[in-house]
Amino acid sequence: MFLTVTLSLLQGLATTVKLFALTLLFSLPLGLIISFGSMSRFKILRYPVKTLVWVVRGSPLMIQLLIMYYGPGLLFGWELLPRFTAALVAFVINYSCYFSEIYRGGIEAIPKGQYEAGQVLGMTKSQIFCKVVLLQVVKRIVPPMSNEIITLVKDTSLARIIAVYELIWNGQTFIKSAGIIWPLFYTTVFYLVFNGALTLLFGYIEKRLDFFKC
Amino acid sequence: MKNMKKILSLMLALVMMLALASCGSAGSGAASGSATGSGSAAEDASDLAYVKDKGTLIVGITDFKPMDYKNDAGEWVGFDADMATAFAKSLGVDVQFIEIDWDNKIMELNAKSIDCVWNGMTLTDEVKKSMATSNPYCDNAQVVVVPADKADQYQDVDSLKDLSFAVESGSAGEAEAKNQNLTYTSVSTQSDAVMEVSSGASDACVIDLLMAGAIIGEGTSYPKLTHTVKLNSEQYGAAFRTDSDLAEVLNKFLADSYKDGSMQKIAETYGVQESLIAQ
Repeated sequence: MFLTVTLSLLQGLATTVKLFALTLLFSLPLGLIISFGSMSRFKILRYPVKTLVWVVRGSPLMIQLLIMYYGPGLLFGWELLPRFTAALVAFVINYSCYFSEIYRGGIEAIPKGQYEAGQVLGMTKSQIFCKVVLLQVVKRIVPPMSNEIITLVKDTSLARIIAVYELIWNGQTFIKSAGIIWPLFYTTVFYLVFNGALTLLFGYIEKRLDFFKC
Repeated sequence: MKNMKKILSLMLALVMMLALASCGSAGSGAASGSATGSGSAAEDASDLAYVKDKGTLIVGITDFKPMDYKNDAGEWVGFDADMATAFAKSLGVDVQFIEIDWDNKIMELNAKSIDCVWNGMTLTDEVKKSMATSNPYCDNAQVVVVPADKADQYQDVDSLKDLSFAVESGSAGEAEAKNQNLTYTSVSTQSDAVMEVSSGASDACVIDLLMAGAIIGEGTSYPKLTHTVKLNSEQYGAAFRTDSDLAEVLNKFLADSYKDGSMQKIAETYGVQESLIAQ
């Protein structure tokens, strides 16, 4: 029984990890783009982006998942996205908005003097951003990012609402089919191990970025 | 430099479009709840044609012994699963089973991610109102589950008044608890309700008789629980989208397979022959 459960949970874990990894892959760059939008000088750009961030951060991820999957069919009678894809799109949009605020915090924390110094040295704006600012931003945002990323690992369990068979779903299945409850709690071990590995990774990254002070 | 700015603004424009699109759908999602109903009603006139054209009948289920469950080979079997397979065959289409979150069954049907729910569903007034239901095919009851060592104290309805109950939100069990004026807490699934009793959070719960037979007692995580009072009797049916013509087609199929004995045969395989309803 233990082996059966572990194998089934590993299957669920594969979906969880896939959802996690793909969400990061798309939302890390998209978050940076959104952060540029919310810091833009142009109101016509800044206000819509800020509204988007407000809507996405201000509404429950569970509802966003439901809208992303059922919305097209319920409202317009369109073909539905596959369940996993719908979950992925919802997660990418949601996490991009959270990440964008972390990026914004990191970028705005760089003293204005550094931009001015760059200008005096005759650097262009993009040179200043890429060669002076960006690496410092990366270093500063590692702790809040790791926080958000660890939350993402556990948030993937929300995808069960649109029947994406992830870790928790597979754990719960045993309650319904066989009346045994320990697999549901056993899933926690998988999350702990996964997040433990991530914590070590972020610790390592922080150490590697310690070569300069800012 | 100039190029980079152009690319950047292009990307931002894209993000904005996404933003507007998502705002739009979120906004109208709240507003047009009723419009959705009428929209799908118009299309449902040809639900049979839609399924035949697609070539697959997608059946929404949950893991629910003995109606729908996986055998050792990983295939969905059970009384409902086998009947659904036979029904799909009679339509000349393939059958596909999808495990869904049971709370979302009406959304799944209306969004057309499934065509039918067939999973030991109790035919309540709410169910009949929100979906096109078939004729009842199987009897069931709502039973009270209590710890086995206290079972002898709770053998009739009057003895239940002082207990705290757990019931599945929106289930027939909840309706029955309300009917009998019992004190209850709603939880999200029947198995959660059983967990409430097992952990001592509630004194008792109300669940389906067929489910109680499968998930409590010897060989489960709940060997110390048992079921006592039957609160009511009720009937199982399958359901389709509102106004779907498939419900009538299914009724005819049920009648035919009862007449030729194939329905009884499947029922015997899964031990539910005594609960079967004559068609």
